[in-house]
Amino acid sequence: MTEQANSSMPVENQSPGPSDHQSDEDLRIHIDDSATSPTLLFLATSMVWLIIGSLFGVVVALKFSLPDWLGSVPALTFGRLRPAHLNTVVFGFVSLAGAGMVIWLTGRLCRTHIRWTGLLYISVIIWNLGLLLGTALVLAGYSEGMEWLEFPLIAVVPVALGFVLFAASILKTFANRSVEHIYISLWYILASLVWFPILYVIGNGRFYQGVSQAAMNWWFAHNLLTVWVTPLGLAGAYYFIPKVIGRPIYSYYLGLLGFWSFALFYNWNGLHHLVGGPVPTWAVSISIVASLLMFIPVITVAVNHHMTAFGNLKLVRYSPTLRFVVFGAMSYTVVSLQGSLEATRTMQEIVHFTHYTVGHAHLGVYSFASMILFGAMYYILPRIAKWEWPYPALIKVHFWLTAVGVLLYFVAMEVGGWLQGMAMVNGAVPFIDSVIVTRPWLWGRSIGGVMMTIGNILFAYHFALVVYRAGPIRFAPGWVRKAEGQTS
Amino acid sequence: MSLFPVAVIIVAVALVAGALALAAFFWALRTGQFSVRHMNEGALTIFDSTEPVGMPTDQTLQTPQEHPDDRTGKQLNAR
Repeated sequence: MTEQANSSMPVENQSPGPSDHQSDEDLRIHIDDSATSPTLLFLATSMVWLIIGSLFGVVVALKFSLPDWLGSVPALTFGRLRPAHLNTVVFGFVSLAGAGMVIWLTGRLCRTHIRWTGLLYISVIIWNLGLLLGTALVLAGYSEGMEWLEFPLIAVVPVALGFVLFAASILKTFANRSVEHIYISLWYILASLVWFPILYVIGNGRFYQGVSQAAMNWWFAHNLLTVWVTPLGLAGAYYFIPKVIGRPIYSYYLGLLGFWSFALFYNWNGLHHLVGGPVPTWAVSISIVASLLMFIPVITVAVNHHMTAFGNLKLVRYSPTLRFVVFGAMSYTVVSLQGSLEATRTMQEIVHFTHYTVGHAHLGVYSFASMILFGAMYYILPRIAKWEWPYPALIKVHFWLTAVGVLLYFVAMEVGGWLQGMAMVNGAVPFIDSVIVTRPWLWGRSIGGVMMTIGNILFAYHFALVVYRAGPIRFAPGWVRKAEGQTS
Repeated sequence: MSLFPVAVIIVAVALVAGALALAAFFWALRTGQFSVRHMNEGALTIFDSTEPVGMPTDQTLQTPQEHPDDRTGKQLNAR
């Protein structure tokens, strides 16, 4: 460590001697070990939902170009497969992988072992049972018919209970932390643990009808990204970018400004989905104003992440984590600024009810959140499985398939959706022409979806190899040899 | 259908969430999370003596020859 770096370390970490080196590494391995089993269970089950959700998505995408395909099987019709795709991807892959990342990160950031791991085992079991039941019921035709609220109550309860048990373990670990300072990632994690249960329980209340149901639906659907998916992504980015590069975050002041402005503005955004709908204009206007105010936290986060990575981007050549997380962080900036502009009435006039919105949603959930979660798993898994990723080439193929796939999907949907919207607002154009104009772009959607799915399957295969400690033995970093009790 | 029920719920949730946010903010203020010392040192808490500032911590895609940890030529043999 350089003298300059040493002088800027926190008081408790100054002047480390040989024994401190020993204890820091031992502590890190001890903490990682305490998180191993629960983290692995959450991450491994998320892989299953990633594959299931991706296959659902590909079939859904192909149905736009081949509308009769699988149309005779009720469970595989568009109206059932699409909600199954949404729920398995968001509550299955993103949520379970995010929870796995949170368990591991909480131990690292609180510098203590994970508490109440028994609750985490129960959590992962009932969470998955709820997902299985909910998906089966949706495919069987028992959907509740509201976006991201399709699961019947019997499936919602175990998912909610699973989340509460997970949150209890994380909060207990936090309460026993051995560090005084709360790192930015922990702010996002702790906030999401409080926000998400409130949202999930209120959103799944079955006492709304008509217009109020629509208002509640979009308050819920947008806030699902606000209070759960986005904090997961940002918590990961704030940890992994500086940690992998070995450089502190550019501005801690901006980081906290970003968090508190995020908390203040983002949860008002949902009703911009109802522009032109039968809800009070003032409610929609407030939502649009809040959407534009999101420029503040988004720009602070963007400046922080990009300035931290600036000058160190060559490291993406060696680090899969940095490669995926930087891609995700850049996508966050794009999707958030796009979302703010998309909320305005001027844009909504064109893009409402078009594929444009679906492209935007995929940029958020896949290009931002999922890519950061992939990056997090590339970092976490070898450290808990004590086995390095065996095939570097497979990592590169995974990255390029998913990155190019999601960009192709995004561009196809935005262009196709815009042309669709322009045709829909033109009274002289027959409605069917607004459908026909999208046809080539919907093939782009399917090809992008297939690329992402192949990438996801390869990643799941590679993930399984690490878990089973299979594949070629690679030269291992020092922490693997240390954890295995070997001398370096 | 009136918006009254949903308005009541949203206001109630807003009050609870707002109160929680304020409580968290004042707790953070009281415990010095926003103090100059924390602001200056907080970003360094993810580093320690064995993974210090200036040390990249992920070189998965490096070849064995490029990997600084593997200059000794030791291989993992944990199977």
